[in-house]
Amino acid sequence: MSQGAIAGRSGTSPKRRRRRRRPGKGRFVLLGVFLIFLLAPLYWMFITSIKPSDDYLAVPPVWFPSRPTLVHYSAALFAYRGLQGIENSLIISISATALSAFVGTLMAYSFARFETGGKHLSFWVLSQRFLPPIAIVLPVFLIYRTVGLNDTRFGLVIAYTVFTLPVTVWMMFAYFKGVPRSMEDAALVDGCTRWEAFWRVAVPLAAPGIIAAAVFAFIACWTEFFFALVLTSRTAFTLPTVFRAFLGFQGAQYGEASALAVVSLAPSIALGVLAQRHLVRGLTLGAVRG
Amino acid sequence: MSRVGEARRREAGLMAGFSTGLSLWGDRHFKWLLLAPGIGLILALSVYPLLFSLWVSFVNYDFQIPGHAFVGLKNFSQVVLDPVARWSLVLTVMLSAANVTLEFALGLSLALAMVRPFPGRSLVMSILIIPLFISPVIVGQVWALLLQRPFGPTNYLLGLLLRREVTIGWLSESPWVYFALILSDVWQWTPFMFVILLAGLTSIPPNLYEASELDGIGGWLAFRLITLPLLAPMITLAITFRLLDAIRLFDTIFIMTAGGPGTKTYTSSFYLYTVGFTQFHLSQATAGSWILLVLTAALVSFLVRRLLKAEAV
Amino acid sequence: MADVRIRGLHKWFGAFHAVRGIDLDIADGDFTVLVGPSGCGKSTLLRTIAGLEDISEGEIFIGDEIVNDMRPRDRDVAMVFQDYALYPHMTVEKNIGFGLRARKMAKSEIDDRVNRASAMLGIAQLYGRFPRQLSGGQRQRVAIGRAIVREPRIFLFDEPLSNLDAQLRDEMRWEIKRLHRAISTTMIYVTHDQIEAMTLADRIVLMREGRIEQVGTPAELFERPISRFVAGFLGSPKMSFLPGRVVGFEGVAALAIDGAEFPLPLPPAHAARVSTAGARVLLGLRPEHVVRAQGASPGEGMIRLDARVELLQPTGSRTFATFRIGSASALAELQAHDVSNPGETIQLDANLNRASLFDAETELALLS
Repeated sequence: MSQGAIAGRSGTSPKRRRRRRRPGKGRFVLLGVFLIFLLAPLYWMFITSIKPSDDYLAVPPVWFPSRPTLVHYSAALFAYRGLQGIENSLIISISATALSAFVGTLMAYSFARFETGGKHLSFWVLSQRFLPPIAIVLPVFLIYRTVGLNDTRFGLVIAYTVFTLPVTVWMMFAYFKGVPRSMEDAALVDGCTRWEAFWRVAVPLAAPGIIAAAVFAFIACWTEFFFALVLTSRTAFTLPTVFRAFLGFQGAQYGEASALAVVSLAPSIALGVLAQRHLVRGLTLGAVRG
Repeated sequence: MSRVGEARRREAGLMAGFSTGLSLWGDRHFKWLLLAPGIGLILALSVYPLLFSLWVSFVNYDFQIPGHAFVGLKNFSQVVLDPVARWSLVLTVMLSAANVTLEFALGLSLALAMVRPFPGRSLVMSILIIPLFISPVIVGQVWALLLQRPFGPTNYLLGLLLRREVTIGWLSESPWVYFALILSDVWQWTPFMFVILLAGLTSIPPNLYEASELDGIGGWLAFRLITLPLLAPMITLAITFRLLDAIRLFDTIFIMTAGGPGTKTYTSSFYLYTVGFTQFHLSQATAGSWILLVLTAALVSFLVRRLLKAEAV
Repeated sequence: MADVRIRGLHKWFGAFHAVRGIDLDIADGDFTVLVGPSGCGKSTLLRTIAGLEDISEGEIFIGDEIVNDMRPRDRDVAMVFQDYALYPHMTVEKNIGFGLRARKMAKSEIDDRVNRASAMLGIAQLYGRFPRQLSGGQRQRVAIGRAIVREPRIFLFDEPLSNLDAQLRDEMRWEIKRLHRAISTTMIYVTHDQIEAMTLADRIVLMREGRIEQVGTPAELFERPISRFVAGFLGSPKMSFLPGRVVGFEGVAALAIDGAEFPLPLPPAHAARVSTAGARVLLGLRPEHVVRAQGASPGEGMIRLDARVELLQPTGSRTFATFRIGSASALAELQAHDVSNPGETIQLDANLNRASLFDAETELALLS
């Protein structure tokens, strides 16, 4: 299957030509199977969310409900406070994203243009990403407890800012490296201070990169669970943490769980599809040459 | 000239001088000023907490008991001697290895399948990357719904396929739980591998294949001699990043199995979470998390060194 | 308007010694060209004058001020970059006026200057466009316009024509020369192209490996190069270098070119410079000084040679022929209509009066 996809066009011997025609179909089979594998669970989750509760106990399972209902959605959003979770998540994610984008762009510029701190400092900043979350969240929980930041949106915002900073810096660093310095030099000679050259020339030029980094940071904050689980409870809880209320379900909460899942997925998927073009660059920036 | 006017002019001059002086100072230290906010945040929310937790792991930190007595290595030995801790480490390694291997193999196959354009390719692309933007908790929730017993669709479909009743407890019986966890992880993260490997594949200049065809090399040989070597840096990158994320496995465990049955699906992160936040043995938990940190750091430096070497080529 | 004085300038990039002790005086209003092969430090030198690079050692004076620690914006210089460095997110008009707005000049004054510069360069009709909509030549004009409106005391050019195609380059060269005549401000111009250097410069500073090889007017460098490097760098096609030994021949100082049958007698002017018999030297001959033999006998100081043509390079108005003297290759300049063929043997007159002599070891010119 693989050979057909990458080897060139014209074969020579009839034997080779025949071998190449079959692999062409093979990849479609693979893609088809995997797409079903991807979409089936999402479909099941969606119809579970609109099934009336009786249908859960049906054998064979109901593939499409005859009487779809939205009752689980309102239960999830209100009885289980999903709506407040969404509100908190939105506020926290947007704030943390903005902070992370700003601070991260500043740092990335310093690293990219001035090689500040040599290789070691930038490596240290980037390696923050690989710290096991449990090692950080335990002491941060204790510290927050002392300073009263537990279960506050602000506390989670700054935690998320630090959490998303390495990836933002990584992406913007690679982006700035790809932008020639000469425009900033021109601005310096034209009469700008270094800050003006950065803010009025470099940053507008880097706008696509900043947007891509912001999208990544937002999705990271929107989907994060562990930190939110530990650092929030009744007041500042985020959308992913609402799902713990459905634990140990014995049939009653299937609908609410899937309804909330559908609600959470919508912005994720929308953003993801929009960011698709930048996705590859974001994941592989600096690593792909040419 | 009035005295007020003179004073105001002098003040303006001073202000201008001050602001110029400030601007000069700012320019001179610009690169450090840019770093200050970020470094400050990292120091406050990463370095300081880590040092604090190091202290906690050497004392007896308890909410109930006042005073924090120094207890030496007692917390560390408690972790090391705990059979659950040891099992969690083993399980983390095994699950991560299984997940990354499967995701790599599938991801590479998908990337190879998607390399050449065909109608509808961008639609397929959009669908393929959807799992990457979903919260792992939700992925766990979705698979829990799919795999549940007795009313889940999985057992029913398997029953149809195997023509007998299937009552596998995917979330409550070992070894089926492991399959469940691997399934959900592969579902979510194969696209990650896919994207990176596809980027690597598309960056290989097509004229390399054209040249090799003129030399008589095609198909499988071209894959081995051209594709794989040129893809190697991206493969290393993909595996490094995925592996370092896979060892943190927590969210899906929390939602799908809660560590069960018993403690059979305790990964290291879940184990430490339980010790710290369910049992509130905080000193033990921090000690354990420092051990995990050291192990992770060793793995990171090993992998990143290989990664940097691969890219230097 | 200001002069520039550089004293003992050194610049290290880590362990790399890019600029190795430069002393240079640039007179007020002069058009000075810094020229040399890649990596010779000319761009680095220019950037230190602009303030875009710090210097490791030495002093730079602009006017009477020492500017070592001054920021670029305070030095009152303007710079034109090789890749134009136009701000992509601003229109042409905004690009040109950017520096003036950064210095908070009055809007009417800004508009006035921008209009005058645009008129001078013929780009007023491009005001509303963005850089990506312009051709290479237009972009370069806008970049020059941005420099002009600042009315600085020094203009700096960093290989501004390198990104243009050959025809455009010729055009822009004349534009820049006209510009200098019009506003007669000190201009420092970096290029690797010796033709640009020769046509534009009042004075040329030829650099090699971080040091100044020679400073002078184009004529001085061309006619009295102080080293083989200078002689070989300027002039196209290059000067031919023939290694040989000083010998006596019929009572006259002569050159035995390696592998040649007969020594070439040296004109008296040259003979005076070579002191030691047996000294190894290089004879430098420019193609334009080796022409088709004319007249019954060669003129004073000229040598008649029988040359077997190896290669012909026609360039339209002239044809260059490669031939051998001894074991060395040399170039002769023939008229286009002068038909010769490879393999043919023709007679050439070499004008040794105009030749250069270099010590074979030091590669320095033997000058009286």
